[in-house]
Amino acid sequence: MNGLDIENLTVTYKNFSLNATLGVPRGCVTGLIGRNGAGKSTLIKAIMRQQDATGRILYNGLPFRGNEEGILKKLACVYDAPHFNLLQRATTIRNLYKGMYDFDEELFVDFMERFSLPPKEKIGSYSLGMQRKFCLILALCQRPDILLLDEPTAGIDPYDRGAVIELIQQFMLDEGHTVLFSTHITEDLDKIADYIAIIKEGRIALCEQKEVLCDSYRLVQCPELTEKMREGALGVRKSMFGYTYLTREREIGGENVLVKVPTVEELFVHLTDGEERK
Amino acid sequence: MHIHITYQSAPIYEQIEYQIRAQIFSGELKAGEMLPSIRMLAKELRVGIITAKRAYDDLVGEGFLYAVPGKGVFVAERRPDDLVSNKLGRLKEQLREAEKFARENGIAPEQFREILREIMEEKDERS
Repeated sequence: MNGLDIENLTVTYKNFSLNATLGVPRGCVTGLIGRNGAGKSTLIKAIMRQQDATGRILYNGLPFRGNEEGILKKLACVYDAPHFNLLQRATTIRNLYKGMYDFDEELFVDFMERFSLPPKEKIGSYSLGMQRKFCLILALCQRPDILLLDEPTAGIDPYDRGAVIELIQQFMLDEGHTVLFSTHITEDLDKIADYIAIIKEGRIALCEQKEVLCDSYRLVQCPELTEKMREGALGVRKSMFGYTYLTREREIGGENVLVKVPTVEELFVHLTDGEERK
Repeated sequence: MHIHITYQSAPIYEQIEYQIRAQIFSGELKAGEMLPSIRMLAKELRVGIITAKRAYDDLVGEGFLYAVPGKGVFVAERRPDDLVSNKLGRLKEQLREAEKFARENGIAPEQFREILREIMEEKDERS
């Protein structure tokens, strides 16, 4: 079953349109990648109903339409920028959230301590990493089933990124939980994502299990590009020492030819490169 | 149980599988011992849930582990024929590595064979 079924979710701007159809598997972490402006944030905002859109969304099989109020309580989101007043203290924002959600206060105190966030200080005085962690803590304390994250690890140091990843994985200990996670830091996806969705110009180009997806391609490094290799080679890059390309071919080999399963980053870069040059 | 993940060579599920197998062979993991849940394993190793599940599924398939629905995953009784075939596989892997190293460093095949023979004779003398 899917945690979220998104069917023809459509947003139209002057020079951009989103038309997304995507199943986000329940109990799994799905990583959403795409170039800047591909529609990642618009998609997440549209799911959260923070953005007018047409189309249909199901939550664990239940349509949003007619059940929206209850469902939105089970969804929590960390947006790409803090969506509250930076002049407020952490505790003030907590009180605000207590009024709106079934807020887990014990968890809040525990997390604030664990991540050394001073609750009495203004959010504006927090570093970017602290603000990110604070937003994620607020989301988790709403006791959601589904967590939507818009670049939760952008602009923060590796130590804090580790903490954010840990929080996501802790959330996933419950098998009824679902995460959709947009990011440019594909290294995080290599580690913890179960599914990878690629969004391109407002459309979901693919959504597949990460290992199946990566294993369906090979990254080849070779000194010479033969005619046979050129067929089916995606995103060929030439350097002083030879060529690097992505392919679905399996029967590749030869002297000094290095073949490996690509990482998510290599996959994304070469696929994008392949399309840009068409 | 202890597992280390590196991000260079083998697929992560294989690394997990290999290390669990090794610890079953060494006796560090004992028959009947319960392993952490899939989700706990994923969290502790910072890997995907499906990756962790794949490792356990493979090891259950090979008979190293068994799953009790609703309870967890446990270490099975060890099987000696698996022990031999597993070690042979590993040995071949290591020799292949050594052969590759020799080739890349301009060591001639005859020389490589000679070194291997020397090592084995050293061992014979000692025993």
